[in-house]
Amino acid sequence: MQTEHLISLLSATGRPVDTGWLRRTAWLGAAAALAATLVLVVSLLGTRRDLATALTTLPVLAKFAFGGSVAAIALVLFQRSLRPGLPARPLLVLVALPVALVVLSAILALLQAPVEQWSALTFGRNWRGCLVIVPLLALCPLGIFALLARRGAPVDRRLTGLSAGLASAGIAILAYALHCPDDTMPFMATWYTLAIGISTTIATLILPRLLRW
Amino acid sequence: MSLEDLETQIRPAFLAALAGDNAAYRLFLDVIGARLRGYLRHMLKRAGRSEPSEAEDVLQEVLLALHLARHTYEPSSPVTAWAHAIARYKLVDHLRRTGRHSGHLPLDDEAFALAAPESQASDARMDLVRAMEGLPERTRRLIDRVKLQGGSVAEAARETGMSETAAKVAIHRGLKAMARFLTRTRRSD
Repeated sequence: MQTEHLISLLSATGRPVDTGWLRRTAWLGAAAALAATLVLVVSLLGTRRDLATALTTLPVLAKFAFGGSVAAIALVLFQRSLRPGLPARPLLVLVALPVALVVLSAILALLQAPVEQWSALTFGRNWRGCLVIVPLLALCPLGIFALLARRGAPVDRRLTGLSAGLASAGIAILAYALHCPDDTMPFMATWYTLAIGISTTIATLILPRLLRW
Repeated sequence: MSLEDLETQIRPAFLAALAGDNAAYRLFLDVIGARLRGYLRHMLKRAGRSEPSEAEDVLQEVLLALHLARHTYEPSSPVTAWAHAIARYKLVDHLRRTGRHSGHLPLDDEAFALAAPESQASDARMDLVRAMEGLPERTRRLIDRVKLQGGSVAEAARETGMSETAAKVAIHRGLKAMARFLTRTRRSD
């Protein structure tokens, strides 16, 4: 086929195109992913027993803020990575901000506590649960983001995978905060951050393969 | 022509195309196509491939990709940057699929900024034709008619006994299938 013919064909079938669709769908998808993950936590794990009183306490709010900010920053990145020509990689450093803030608070908390408590403050009641369950929960939003990414044009598939992994982990943390009984900053800084690392690694390894176009 | 001049020239055309103006879309594809042809020939030559038909194949794949990715364009950003990013992605993918020179090609933006437009097309190889072979008979006939008549879908639809809307949907699906075929195929040479 000659290129001229291809151009005839393409221009003949041109239709009005909605350039806002991808953004709207991505935010809608993220909301759906959050809802689905919340349902998973409430139905499979159950909420922590003291949720009604704990919901407005600083540690639980900190978990919401941590998961929410990681998810929000990563989602902006994710959406940009689906649109060719938009610089996205430089924004990646923003994700370090909430992580740095949490780690800093954890160090401060440890410095104020006697050394004998450090281990208890860090390992809490159920660090294994957090480390296993958060990455598992993150698979639910990750699946939704993978479907979304296939509707875009990811020219940097590693970045798309990475940001989808971060966003999924952020959403999983938001939901898991309803269950997680451990309320110390050192616990959050260690296990939540590690869980984000696990989810992001998995997504960065798997998604680029699924997103060839 | 500098990249800024190119942007000034094709941006209004592309925005009109996104609103459904087919004549503007054609102008956009012609101008960006010539520019991309120059860019792809230059880059392929640097990778040690100077066969113009290969550049034409990649160009066709890029044009098809641009068409199917129109909804990913962010209207506040430069359309040249959008097209270049897609062309570069398809070029790297092509080089990787065809074996040699996988990661060694320097993909600087300068090459795109400096590429001279080449309006003289070469004959493509058979890629797009092979991609069409997998389509349903009716879609193939439809595509042949539209492209040979210089782009009247209404007429081609009537000849194949479809409504114009159904014809457009069938062609769109066909183009998507062709793009998928090109992505999957490992060219042997």
